[in-house]
Amino acid sequence: MMKLRAILIMTVYGILVTLASLWMAKQSYSWFPPEASAEAKLLDDLFSLFTGLGTFIYLGVIGPFLYSLIFHRASKYDMSDGPPIEGNIWLEIVWTATPLILVLTLAFVSYRTYEKMAVRGPMELVHLHMPQMMQSAYAEPFDSKPQQEIQNALITAPIEQVDVIAKQWAWVFHYPKQDITSTELHLPVNRRVRFTLHSEDVLHGFYIPAFRLKQDVVPNHEINFELTPVKTGTYRLRDSMFSGTYFAANQADVVVQPLDEYQQWLADAASQSPTPAFNRAVFEYSKANDREGATKDKVAVRGWDTIPPASPPVVNYAP
Amino acid sequence: MTNISIEAPETVRGQPYPGAPDNWRRFFTFSTDHKVIGIQYIVTSFFFFLIGGTFSMIMRGELITPDADLVDRTVYNALFTMHGSVMLFLWTFPVLVGLGNYLVPLMIGARDMAFPRLNAVSFWMIPVVGVLMLSSFLVPGGPSQSGWWAYPPVSLQNPTGNLINGQVLWILAVAVSGVSSIMGGVNFVTTIFRMRAPGMTWFRTPAFVWSVLAAQLIQLYGLPALTGGAVMLLLDITIGTSFFAPERGGNPVLYQHFFWFYSHPAVYVMVLPAFGIFSEVLPVHARKPLFGYRVIAASSILITVVSGSVWVHHMFASATPSWMRILFMVTSMLVAIPSGIKVFGWVATIWGGKIRFTTPMLFALGGISNWLFAGITGIFLASVPIDIHVNNTYFVVGHFHYVLYGAIVMGIYAAIYHWFPKMTGRMYYEGLGKLHFALTYLGTALTFLPMHPAGLMGLPRRVASYDLEFAYWNVIASIGGFLLGLSTLPFILNMVSSWIRGEKVGNNPWRAYGLEWLTSSPPTVENFEELPIVVSGPYGYGRSRPLVGNIPNPGLTEFPESLTQQKS
Amino acid sequence: MTAERANPSGELRNAQEVEVNVRHHQEHDAAGNSKFGFIAFLLSESVIFLSFFAGYIVYKTTTPDWYPSGVTGLETREPFINTLVLVSSSFVIYVAERYLHDKKLWGFRLFLLVTMAMGSYFLFGQAMEWRSLPFGYQSGLFGGTFFLLTGFHGLHVLTGILLQTLMLGRSFMPGNYDNGFFGVEATSLFWHFVDVIWIVLYTLIYVWQ
Repeated sequence: MMKLRAILIMTVYGILVTLASLWMAKQSYSWFPPEASAEAKLLDDLFSLFTGLGTFIYLGVIGPFLYSLIFHRASKYDMSDGPPIEGNIWLEIVWTATPLILVLTLAFVSYRTYEKMAVRGPMELVHLHMPQMMQSAYAEPFDSKPQQEIQNALITAPIEQVDVIAKQWAWVFHYPKQDITSTELHLPVNRRVRFTLHSEDVLHGFYIPAFRLKQDVVPNHEINFELTPVKTGTYRLRDSMFSGTYFAANQADVVVQPLDEYQQWLADAASQSPTPAFNRAVFEYSKANDREGATKDKVAVRGWDTIPPASPPVVNYAP
Repeated sequence: MTNISIEAPETVRGQPYPGAPDNWRRFFTFSTDHKVIGIQYIVTSFFFFLIGGTFSMIMRGELITPDADLVDRTVYNALFTMHGSVMLFLWTFPVLVGLGNYLVPLMIGARDMAFPRLNAVSFWMIPVVGVLMLSSFLVPGGPSQSGWWAYPPVSLQNPTGNLINGQVLWILAVAVSGVSSIMGGVNFVTTIFRMRAPGMTWFRTPAFVWSVLAAQLIQLYGLPALTGGAVMLLLDITIGTSFFAPERGGNPVLYQHFFWFYSHPAVYVMVLPAFGIFSEVLPVHARKPLFGYRVIAASSILITVVSGSVWVHHMFASATPSWMRILFMVTSMLVAIPSGIKVFGWVATIWGGKIRFTTPMLFALGGISNWLFAGITGIFLASVPIDIHVNNTYFVVGHFHYVLYGAIVMGIYAAIYHWFPKMTGRMYYEGLGKLHFALTYLGTALTFLPMHPAGLMGLPRRVASYDLEFAYWNVIASIGGFLLGLSTLPFILNMVSSWIRGEKVGNNPWRAYGLEWLTSSPPTVENFEELPIVVSGPYGYGRSRPLVGNIPNPGLTEFPESLTQQKS
Repeated sequence: MTAERANPSGELRNAQEVEVNVRHHQEHDAAGNSKFGFIAFLLSESVIFLSFFAGYIVYKTTTPDWYPSGVTGLETREPFINTLVLVSSSFVIYVAERYLHDKKLWGFRLFLLVTMAMGSYFLFGQAMEWRSLPFGYQSGLFGGTFFLLTGFHGLHVLTGILLQTLMLGRSFMPGNYDNGFFGVEATSLFWHFVDVIWIVLYTLIYVWQ
């Protein structure tokens, strides 16, 4: 009778946990910025899987944990000990093997997602001639849509090339074909884009949350980085690797637009002569060093010396 | 049977000793007693915990609004650098070394650490580290502003041009802390290997001792790598070598390898003793043996081994080739297995026990629940594609604060409450303890949980200003942060007042099973009247079997009923 | 305070096992602890060198212009002689230790002195080499790593010689070796360690060009 009740409780709890995990897995999509790239969709699917399994494990452990805390408490004058159970070999084998299988599965699924993203990244930095994992980048998918988008983008047009220059503290985007520069990143929708990342001084992080992608920018190394924007709109590019005083202000806008608008923008930009763009770091730095200015007391606590920001970038287009 | 005398302690005891156990002045001397040093470590590092906490509350004050308007950006950058450095090098490491120092010799039935003088020297380096670290606020240019990672090239940039600058002082502080930790590591490993009481075989050694051993082994193999990297960084800054300076042909990414080769395992140096504390506290307050003790003990060593091969998961976004990303994703995920074994073992330990919600038990349970959450987000972070999105965002900050505060600091509190009667002979106030727990648990959730969604939305860590969309989560986190600051007050009040006038309790108020509970509270200078001869394994709850053969063991060998009558 | 006393309590189920353990425990003397601790320390110390070696290998395999301009490689003949001197000094200090073992103090002092002389010769050779080099520690990654590795090792050789001087001085104190000679053992162990490191270092820097 007791055993039957235990089985019943466990079954009900198991069903509840499964439902909760499914709900959380669905819910996880809403925790992100918009899915503006094909890679973002791949990542969100993977994250949803992790969230579901994570919730399942969390509730699966915390349930018995709380049950025990509620029902297995000693009464005030009960000075006796619990049953002297020191272990159970089968139970221990099960809870060693289960996580092992689980994490190996998760690692495999992650690897597949990573392959499908085919973000390139820095293969040149360390010359150890290992097998090129990217060869099988277009392996059989289990959710083919985002990957299809990447492939379509690759088939329909050549890869769009953009050079990214990061410095303390500005982003400059150079379009080599038209030889124009901008402090705002414009990208055509549904085209594969290849960035070549340069840094002029320290490490920076090229990070567009809406694309779910990030790559550190290393001085003296050109790093190639690819992605496929699939949704028009304006997003934010943030420096993700701490780069000194004005690190937090080192941001830029990313505009993903239809092909015709994009080309129009390129043409407009090409017609403008380069001018110095507004730069937040330079602005704040000059204000902070303006000894006579009334802006001195803008912050409650004054700071220490800093590396001066690079002079404002001279670009064809600035927002 | 021949007459075998066990190590005559009289000669040592006869020497003039700086104070008996009831003399508070001994805490201000160069004492070589491991118990004095242990408490010195704990109190000193708690002082630095408050300083590091103050830094974090100023940061939370800055972050309560999107603009950088409370402190200048340089000050904010210095604050997060110092917050991380102080919390790691001056709080978490030393406080756990302090707990280990106090408990390990007692738990293994030794009279002291293997090298008592070396032990004292290790401790007295901690104030030196503190002075070096904090004096950087007074030099021109202020403290290091490159984060506790001190990644070059930012750490090589020296706006003042002075030779004595915040970054150099930071490296020196870390170097002194490293020397102290290596000496501590040698001391612990030697003590645990060679000074266990007669009869205490490896699988009769408490899980806490196993976890300290596992942690200190990591110090021995990992710390030198950081030292190597720090030496090269120091040479780059001071004499102009080019190891990590890109403008002189150096490779800044190599520093990251040196740094994380130690600094990821360093997380296990901190979390393993906390695991050990959970494994000690749960059986006492649930009155049940530690479930799967052997496996839990061995899994600590497994973590030591695996942790040496996971460091690149901190560098998935930093110019790391794909094969390395995938390889280290798999190794990092494998850490989930020994960690999982422990969590399942703890749940099975309390299952069907006689649980009492004492303060140490609450902290241990709270720590385990937080660790479970942090462990799961840890698996997220090990996955390369997810990490590429959340790396260097607040998701990571939330994750590791759940580990460091949610699990480790909770574990430390659990240990302090649990062994407080042993250290002082008095009992803490239960009500204040429970208040402390409630504030800490709530504060942890309020502060660090909102960091996860903020990170998923793409808020980079280390920013002094942020876009308006992140304000919501930041305000909650700031409120939680101030609550955490508040939570230390009942703790301090409790500790001070209980130490002075808490209720005097006997040697073993928890009716706990372990060598440290056989001696007086506080223990005498040489710990044991005579060295215990261990005849059975730890955690013998519900079995009423003796732990040692030569010391009477009331409360364990007798029937518990008699104890009930004594008490009531 | 004897194991004997523990027995009559009747609680020992495995008295024999415990007795073995007590015996074993007695052997855990202070000198044994020191030796164990010193070996642990040396193993830990070797990781610093390992990390430097790893750094050297990574730099050498990834840097396009490894040698500074005008440098084609390193002279190997004199460093080789230096290496021979250092490596053989390891055997000399071993002989010194044997003499001490047999309580022949003068033989010990003589051979310790020879070891110190050989170590000093090595340092002298290193200094000569440093002076004659056409590059400095600021000459790119090669210059930096070369001086880092040889300098850090040289520092260890110097430490070894200082330890030996200390041991030599202490050998004149009467009754110094009544409680064993852990100090000499540690010094000798340290010297072997410095030697082994040098062999790896020599292979990396001079042989692999």
